[in-house]
Amino acid sequence: MSNEPIIRTSDLHKKFVRDEFEVHALTGANLEVHRGEFIALMGPSGSGKSTLLHLIAAMDRPTAGAIEVLGQDIASLSESAVARWRNHHIGFVFQNFNLIPVLTAHENVELPLKLTHLKKGERHQHALTALKLVGLSDRTDHYPRQLSGGQEQRVAIARAIVTDPDLLLCDEPTGNLDARSAQEVLTLLARLNKEHGKTIVMVTHDPHAAHFASKIRHLDKGELLPEGEVPEDWRAAPMASDDKT
Amino acid sequence: MRFLPLILKNSLRNRRRSFLTISSLAISLCLLGVLMALYYALFFSEPKADQALRLITRHRVSITMVMPLHYRDKIRAVPGVREVVTWQWFGGMYKNEQREQKYFFPRFGVEAARMFDVYRNFEIPEDQKQAFMSDRRACILSRRVAEAQELKIGDRVYIKGNIFPIDLDLTVKGIYDMDDGNEGLWFHMEQIEEGLKRLGSSRSFAGTFTILAESPEAVPRIQNAVDEMFANSEAPTRTETEQAFGLSFLAFLGNIKLILMSICAAVTFTILLVAANTVAMSVRERVREVGVLKTLGFTQQKILGLLLGESLAISLIGGAIGLLLAQGLCRVLAVGLAGFVPPDQLTIQLPVFLALLGISLLIGVASSAVPAWNAARTPILDALRVTD
Ligand SMILES: Nc1ncnc2c1ncn2[C@@H]1O[C@H](COP(=O)(O)OP(=O)(O)OP(=O)(O)O)[C@@H](O)[C@H]1O
Ligand SMILES: [Mg+2]
Repeated sequence: MSNEPIIRTSDLHKKFVRDEFEVHALTGANLEVHRGEFIALMGPSGSGKSTLLHLIAAMDRPTAGAIEVLGQDIASLSESAVARWRNHHIGFVFQNFNLIPVLTAHENVELPLKLTHLKKGERHQHALTALKLVGLSDRTDHYPRQLSGGQEQRVAIARAIVTDPDLLLCDEPTGNLDARSAQEVLTLLARLNKEHGKTIVMVTHDPHAAHFASKIRHLDKGELLPEGEVPEDWRAAPMASDDKT
Repeated sequence: MRFLPLILKNSLRNRRRSFLTISSLAISLCLLGVLMALYYALFFSEPKADQALRLITRHRVSITMVMPLHYRDKIRAVPGVREVVTWQWFGGMYKNEQREQKYFFPRFGVEAARMFDVYRNFEIPEDQKQAFMSDRRACILSRRVAEAQELKIGDRVYIKGNIFPIDLDLTVKGIYDMDDGNEGLWFHMEQIEEGLKRLGSSRSFAGTFTILAESPEAVPRIQNAVDEMFANSEAPTRTETEQAFGLSFLAFLGNIKLILMSICAAVTFTILLVAANTVAMSVRERVREVGVLKTLGFTQQKILGLLLGESLAISLIGGAIGLLLAQGLCRVLAVGLAGFVPPDQLTIQLPVFLALLGISLLIGVASSAVPAWNAARTPILDALRVTD
């Protein structure tokens, strides 16, 4: 495990302009993530968690500041270079799974591989391996609507890891799941981190989920708090509401 | 093309909509195909070698007016003319033809002695030909008519006159094939003359002359010479190639070319609108998916390709079905239009096939270009935010 951080943001700003409103979603985030870490990003709604994750995945561009992921200054890449870069290096897991409904589990997982040079047989094999890893080798031919939420999310995770990316980014991966499915998904992520050495950044509201991470960072009103700090009003409010999920 | 399965699955994802779109495309393209096939057969098909040598002379004013019979010998004397035969459209009623269209077929009275010298492409066994020529009450039938009317050699055919106040009682003596699509019944023209004589009027005029030229080069010369010769007589003539003559029948319906072309254009435009509407709808529903694909690493160009591909898949499937339907419909139409269009020409010929293919492709691309382009360009986060 090298000590060189694989994510490094310095003084990252993101400002959204909608009509006459300006929203400062991120105000100077400095984040370093090292290879093999499992980071949980926490914070109240609207604090800029997703925004930070999107910037790391190069799904959006910062308004100011520098961002380097895997030694690459992603802000300097062209649109199509970014797409290719993301295909190789990033696995993204959404809160609402976002599987393609007309494709089977196996086809969904295979989809990112279609952008690689792998042969048909290799793609097939890789997809099977990924599905096996998430414990769904018996569901390969099922369509998303034939799967439970937890299973759908595991397929989505298989899709995210099938290209063997360096970085797994998850935006509230358990947000739409019941407690048991959430537990399964979190166990899976922890295993991917421990056994397969995947670096994971996970956004979550849920302190229980954050517990699976090796490190927790808090965001508050667009500000990434220094390690170990939590927002002042944090302990009182969110715990109660998070028990519902 | 490793994305083909995805494209196909996507384009057929909404079963009912795909079915409706494909059906409407198929039906429109079928209509288009038939019209284009008809247009092609009418205006572009090459005349058969013999047909290119034949000219038809008729009264300048109207096909229903007659010319003196002695014109025949004058035409015969024009340089380049090999033979002339006169014939007469008889019309008439077969069985209860006025009520049942299926009993209709063309009937011609002809100078039997000469007809085979002018129409050299009759394929008929020699004994049947002789039997026909030697019997004034005989007739011959094209194979298709014989089959459709269930007539065979030796059968009697009664035709009630309508244009002429004469009834025909004929015996089938031969069945012929002809490569230029001539369909009908031919009988001795003397039947008309004798019938009229019995009624007290005599006939020494002709409705039409068919001229056989010696060579294709002679055709335009003959055309001018004949019409000039009779220009100032009591019955001025109009001479044209057999093909053009066939078309002049359709001209009764108006400017066929323009009608066919404008229907084709209207149909194409309509399909385009239908397809564009469907594609716009199906793309709009899936902007979010575009965001997902982009997250997985699909580039704008790939996504554009996928969306265009889906629309192409739909329009090509529709086009293929339409083409098959059109081919079937042409078969049916070819029978009905046998007198005007050589049946073997009224099919989806290669140029028509290519044109239809091109139109299908065009519709596929044109209908989806704008929505696909817009969707492909949607920024990834905007696309993901779209809720369905
Ligand atoms: N495309 C956008 N246009 C305008 N404002 C935006 C946009 N995306 C995010 N924002 C704003 O930026 C701020 C941070 O949003 P972000 O989605 O990062 O919050 P979050 O921490 O992920 O919240 P949640 O927990 O609700 O998902 C919010 O105030 C949000 O309204
Ligand atoms: Mg969020």
